[in-house]
Amino acid sequence: MKPTQIHGFISDRDIMIAVTSNIIGVPTLMYPRLIAQDTSAADGWLAIVLGGSMACILAWILAKITSSFPNQNFLSFASYLLSKPVSVVIAVLFLLQFIVLTSYNVREITVIAHQYLFDRTPIEVISLSFLLVVIYAVSGSRAGIFRLNIIFFPITIWGLLILILLPLGLTKLENLLPIFQTDFQGYLRASYSSFNAFLGFGIVLFYISIVKEPKKTPKMTVLGVLIAVLLYLLLFMICIGTFGNATTANLFFPSFELSKTVELPGGFFERFDSILFVIWTIAIFTTALMSFDIVIMIIMMLFKKAKKLNIIFVLSPIIFILSMLPKDYIELIEVGKYLGMYMFSLVFFVTVLLGIAYKMKGGNQS
Amino acid sequence: MRHVFTGSKKISKNSNSNNNNNSTNQEQSSIAIEQNLNNNLQNIKTMLGNPSDLIVRETTVTASNRNCAIVYISGLTNADLVNNNILKAVQSSNVQSGNGQSNNDQSENAQSNNNQSGNTQAGNGQSNNDQSENAQSENAQSSNTQSNNSQLEKVGTNKDQSNKGNSNENQQNNSQSNTNLIDLIFTEVIAITDCKKVTTLNDVSLSILSGNAVFILDGEKTILSMETAGGEKRSIQEPVSEAVIRGPRAGFIESIDTNISLIRKSLKDPNLRFDVHEIGRRSKQKLAVCYVAGIVNQDILDEVNRRLKTIDIDFAPDSGFVEQWIEDSFLSPFPQILDTERPDHVTYNVLQGNVGILVDGSPFALITPVIFGDALLSIEDYNQRWLIGSMLRLLRLLAAFIAVFLPAIYVALVSYHPGMIPTQLVFSIAATREGVPFPSIVEALLMAVTFEILQEAGIRLPKVIGQTIGIVGGIVIGDVAVSAGIVGPAMVIVTSLTAIASFTIPHYSMAVGVRVIRFALLLAAAVLGLYGIILVFIMLAVHVVNLKSMGVPHSAPFAPYFLGALKNIFIRAPITTLTKRPPYLEPEDIKKINDGGRRSK
Repeated sequence: MKPTQIHGFISDRDIMIAVTSNIIGVPTLMYPRLIAQDTSAADGWLAIVLGGSMACILAWILAKITSSFPNQNFLSFASYLLSKPVSVVIAVLFLLQFIVLTSYNVREITVIAHQYLFDRTPIEVISLSFLLVVIYAVSGSRAGIFRLNIIFFPITIWGLLILILLPLGLTKLENLLPIFQTDFQGYLRASYSSFNAFLGFGIVLFYISIVKEPKKTPKMTVLGVLIAVLLYLLLFMICIGTFGNATTANLFFPSFELSKTVELPGGFFERFDSILFVIWTIAIFTTALMSFDIVIMIIMMLFKKAKKLNIIFVLSPIIFILSMLPKDYIELIEVGKYLGMYMFSLVFFVTVLLGIAYKMKGGNQS
Repeated sequence: MRHVFTGSKKISKNSNSNNNNNSTNQEQSSIAIEQNLNNNLQNIKTMLGNPSDLIVRETTVTASNRNCAIVYISGLTNADLVNNNILKAVQSSNVQSGNGQSNNDQSENAQSNNNQSGNTQAGNGQSNNDQSENAQSENAQSSNTQSNNSQLEKVGTNKDQSNKGNSNENQQNNSQSNTNLIDLIFTEVIAITDCKKVTTLNDVSLSILSGNAVFILDGEKTILSMETAGGEKRSIQEPVSEAVIRGPRAGFIESIDTNISLIRKSLKDPNLRFDVHEIGRRSKQKLAVCYVAGIVNQDILDEVNRRLKTIDIDFAPDSGFVEQWIEDSFLSPFPQILDTERPDHVTYNVLQGNVGILVDGSPFALITPVIFGDALLSIEDYNQRWLIGSMLRLLRLLAAFIAVFLPAIYVALVSYHPGMIPTQLVFSIAATREGVPFPSIVEALLMAVTFEILQEAGIRLPKVIGQTIGIVGGIVIGDVAVSAGIVGPAMVIVTSLTAIASFTIPHYSMAVGVRVIRFALLLAAAVLGLYGIILVFIMLAVHVVNLKSMGVPHSAPFAPYFLGALKNIFIRAPITTLTKRPPYLEPEDIKKINDGGRRSK
């Protein structure tokens, strides 16, 4: 009885939740380190605000353009704005990005589980089991993915809030001082890293085409980014306040380490991180899931006759092998860096291109 | 009102199509009813295999001196009704046949076409039409029949004489001249309200086997079927599987008519509807779809009816057959259709916009579409005050969590992540497990399987012996297994806590599903520890969001998200605030009560 057709089955709010869930993921774990590396004391907040507002602006432009073509997929409106070949090239570039992003997420969760939960289990087993769950989820309906986001959203948000609130007693004000000691270069680099962490809003380019009435979608997209910015800001401040800048800059996963400092009073669990591990897994899972789903979406856009299950069968081994390619964590960091650069330039380039074309064509005239 | 009309139209369509299906399904429908009484009786006996409990009482309609027979099956029928309201009535009746002139005309016509069934059928059709017309205007009818009667009695004496003269040799002639006799008996003599005419032998056998008595008049191709179903049935008792402390004590029984009446008694709404289907090729069970027109979403109702029509089985011993046939996903461990023994449960849900399904022979009604949270709600929550109801719901959620996750978490913590347990506790658990030769997963499986066996054995055994199981299970296995060093005492605590927690789930079908999931989680925890538990949890979530019940997402009202409906899932908000029906069911009339009943004060 519910509409199961391709178009028009999610609401504006679903987009907001999807954007936030997609942003929160692997970057959240390392974010405080990346910012702290380039700034002194708690100056990173400025970089976060700068990067965040940049992300908000780009997200708004993208969502605005996309939502002015209601129920048209990326290929059709990009073909209208640019041209068919250009839009196909862009779609393929996005396709590559999301394939690599999926395997990157799979590998990251493997690393975290390997490091904190069991160091003797082979990483192949850990990542394969995770990938299988992602495959199971992606084979379901697309509406199901958004419902999944909604179910996991409160878990993730509450988990992060607890992570932020519980160590409040451990923070020291002197860790946050002195202010404004960072040079311009540092701010620039930190802003770039912070912007990179919010790149998850790129999914709106593809998902707005299935929003029922994309009227308030740009606003909701920005709201989704803002929630993430706010959480990141708080997380960063707490990390700096608890560890101090130097420690934060040298911790691999500062957010994860943060949960280790907390002891639940009279708790059955000795360490709070075990509970938070649930949240990280879920957060990374939603990111990987949506990336994989968009990969399928793009392929089905490009090849109209492709069957969903066949795509999944072909793609899954590729993603698994890709995720196993980096030999160690150093290489994975390199991959992450290049992936970030790639995503940044792609989103930036596409936004500018679409924005100019949109202005020149004077909006959706068709 | 618009809805009401369309509804009734639909029902009539349904019943028509049902009849058509049945008649095409069955080869026996070709056997027609003959005019000769003895042949008819012989056909019925042959058809039913001449059973010993088939009662055939042959008698004569006294006034017109025609042979007739009453046929029924002894155990299924209320014999008092047959004796007093049919047999006595027929024997003591003074109806006679035949309005003189018209009869003569008819007999002349009919004699020429005697063996052609077409004519007689047309005659039947006419008489039927007359009947319906008469029924529409009762007054007119009664006056007509009175005048008829008076005419009949005048002519009757002549007729009688002539008939007596050659009654044996010319039965067919007689019958033709007495076409109206069966109608007269139908309208005047039989003292049973639910009486209908049937014209095929197949319907006759179905009537007899349903417990009806049939009245066969010699020389007639129409047979009367009278609702005299009786026989033994269970009295209304307290439901066994859904006991409550506070709430109605009545439970459904095996008779669908009683069950329908139980719902009707509590809802005197004219919009309460029962769409009747027939299921079971051989059992011919009645199935009623219960809903309130004007509340239920028409799409959901159509979907339920559509799925019910596809049912093709020999026999449904319980509504569980129907449930499994029409559910959305047969691979799911979760029930997508709830079963209940409680009429108040069905009533409540029907008023929420759900659809109830009653199956003859089953004391379990089905409720659909349901959401995941429904299986954790008890109808008793509404009878307690809201604070207590809310506490009980939260308690049940906690218990459900324990029932699903506790053994898996124990295994994961003990075998993979002992660092996560407080140090003191680790030492005490390690100390008690010192003599245990098995890894914790074997220990857990051992206890879990033992518990499942105990539970299953306890159900199968008679109640008297059942207590023995408690002793054997509780003392021997629990205590001795520990002192023998086979399992650790911590494991016994975990197992028993899990067992007790799983009993708080109000719906058995859900509790069974939880048992399956518990084992899946145990295995995942044994292989991948906490990580495995999380992955299985995610898989469960993926499964639930993709699950639908009659097209309604199972994960509602979380996703799709309806904030207003959450207060009736997690907690049980005060009744005055529950002003709306569940929005995810998309009822036609969403408002349940206006202003929470406050303004009226």
